[in-house]
Amino acid sequence: MAGPDLRLMAAVGASRAVGATSRKLRLGGGTTLPGDFARALDPGVLRKLASSVRAGVVLVTGTNGKTTTSALLRTLVQGSGLRVGGNPSGSNLLYGLTAAALKWADVRGRVDLDWLVLEVDELSAPQAVAEVCPRGLVILNAFRDQLDRSFEIDQVAARLQEAVLGLSPGAFWVGNADDPRVASFESRGTAAGVTRTLFGLNDPGIGHTMLPAVVDSRSCPRCRAELEFSLVYYAHCGLYHCPQCGFSRPEPQVGAETVQMKGPDGLDMDVVGQAGWRAAVSVPLGGLYNAANVAAAMAAATAMGVDPALANTSLAQFQPSFGRSQLATWRGARFRLMLAKNPAGLDENLTAVLALDKSPVIAIALNDGVADGRDISWIWDVDMERLGTTPRLSFVVSGTRASELALRLGYAGVSSDRISVRPLPAEALSELAGRALPGVPVPCLLTYTAMLAWHSLLVRSGSGTPFFQAT
Amino acid sequence: MRVEQTLRLGHLYPKEMNLYGDRGNILAMVRRAQRRGIGLEVIQIQMGADGADLAASCSGFFIGGGQDLDQGAVAEDLIHLKGPVLRQKVAAGAPLLAVCAGFQLLGMHYLTASGTRIPGLGLLPIHTEAGSRRLVGNLMVSADPSLRLRDPVLIGFENHSGKTYLHEDLAPLGKVVRGKGNTGQSREEGAWRGSVLGTYLHGPLLPKNPELSDWWLRVALHLESLPALDDSLEQAARLEAMAVAQRTDSFSRFRLLGRGLSTKRGR
Repeated sequence: MAGPDLRLMAAVGASRAVGATSRKLRLGGGTTLPGDFARALDPGVLRKLASSVRAGVVLVTGTNGKTTTSALLRTLVQGSGLRVGGNPSGSNLLYGLTAAALKWADVRGRVDLDWLVLEVDELSAPQAVAEVCPRGLVILNAFRDQLDRSFEIDQVAARLQEAVLGLSPGAFWVGNADDPRVASFESRGTAAGVTRTLFGLNDPGIGHTMLPAVVDSRSCPRCRAELEFSLVYYAHCGLYHCPQCGFSRPEPQVGAETVQMKGPDGLDMDVVGQAGWRAAVSVPLGGLYNAANVAAAMAAATAMGVDPALANTSLAQFQPSFGRSQLATWRGARFRLMLAKNPAGLDENLTAVLALDKSPVIAIALNDGVADGRDISWIWDVDMERLGTTPRLSFVVSGTRASELALRLGYAGVSSDRISVRPLPAEALSELAGRALPGVPVPCLLTYTAMLAWHSLLVRSGSGTPFFQAT
Repeated sequence: MRVEQTLRLGHLYPKEMNLYGDRGNILAMVRRAQRRGIGLEVIQIQMGADGADLAASCSGFFIGGGQDLDQGAVAEDLIHLKGPVLRQKVAAGAPLLAVCAGFQLLGMHYLTASGTRIPGLGLLPIHTEAGSRRLVGNLMVSADPSLRLRDPVLIGFENHSGKTYLHEDLAPLGKVVRGKGNTGQSREEGAWRGSVLGTYLHGPLLPKNPELSDWWLRVALHLESLPALDDSLEQAARLEAMAVAQRTDSFSRFRLLGRGLSTKRGR
């Protein structure tokens, strides 16, 4: 038997000290810095930690829904009595993954968990797969995100495909049948010991028949001909087929049926497995894309051996993640914080807000920091024109590019008297607090760093839960 | 002289060439025409042979930026099916505005990293060579005075790896004030000749640069000038974008100086 791995122990010890110092000096939540240090001391630290997780690691990736889906999956696994950890703060580059694994490690570098469920950035996915040799990989979708970073959706899809091909024998992967790019991914196949489970929405009563004005991907991933859609759920996800090569939406093994929206932040659905199970579940999340996230989490959980009969009881404990339909109170007014960081996300959130929200005022904040993407041209691809034709609504726009939002709304036909430009979070919140209806949350659609800023203001004044929690 | 009652804006390849909010460009031209009582109809010109007849009926054109995979097919279609009509139209003074990949396609050729020479439409004497690093960031340009823009400052975002070289005495659209431009070295941005104008500015280009929408409209209408509009929303967005361009550009210079110290990190 090999002796203790001193290098790993040094990495674990040093990262502990760095994490504690970083939090003490308020340099951040200690969600990446310890990972940096540990990786410098032992480049194999993540591989070693991952291999000591009892059942294994599951990675969750895709453009939208990573944080929510991995949180749903952890809730499902935990509900079946297993010990599960993850990176709920959304720190999803390799440093963040390392820091998350370190949090569960003892001094000898053994991770005391049955499962480790980590969300991972799309572009980091191939390297993460190579390092952690996951038991499972969940791929949610491939949309456009942060154009100045990932450049083009084709490249994102290529990275995700690379991640699937990197899976080892014995692994499973879960993919979105409704997203043509994801459904077309090749894998090494069951012969090589890699199994595939597809999830999707199976509800002809939802969705629409037209693609949004601008979609990220309408061409066939196999032959580049234009796909035909008989039903569109959100963005370019739906029921499609290619008139040229015959590629069509495969039947998912796990499908969400009879999806019901209960107000802006509640969904009921039946999740049905081809293996012969059916689970009625409710979650405190709005939007059709969240029905897809639930189906993805259920598909992964059952592949991990979780009994679907436990799902609804487990999900009753589910808390929305940071800034995903999170409620907060400030100066007596209620706010619902929603992350909207790319065209698909903002479009879907607007759909949910317009259908179900009662608030007469909506906040949208657009920042152009590095983490948001410096290129903000994507807001012009969002269907804001429907806001122009909804005269009951007025808007408070905020962020470093508040005036750009005002211009966008103006071009969408929203008259100037319905637009209030308040670049700073505090001034935006003050105005909203004055205009909110009692007890009716104001929907706040925020890019990533705007979310951080609004959240910290709300937390500082005593409401909401802090971002950097212990777990 | 017959005055056209309604302008017909030919939007070339709206499905393939729509990467950087190009929808906003069309919206800007439509709105500015509308506000002046000028009728403007948008004609979507898709891939395929029937697009040529549609193009023949248009008063002017716009082509946006696209993804790599789509561009080969678009170049073929542009040269062989739409090329003859576009050449004719442009020679007769119809405006053609091209952004990013659309700009590159108007040139003589594109030289890929592996040395393959992909022919372009040849409407502008330029050529583009694949570069090893992407030129990404906010871009601020001082436009060529011959364009007679009331406000010569153009503002937007660029994201391209191709470096575009101008031949002969072709005029750039303007001089780079902040950002990279055509090659990252020449301090020149875009190119224009007669009624053809190409640029790397997106963001999208036209909503924040109403003077360029008006350039397209007045060229299409054969007018020297157009009545002014209340541009207060546009002005506010322009000022905000200029402030960002100045801040981020000086930041990148600072970063360059301190490169040895900085560590590369995503979010």
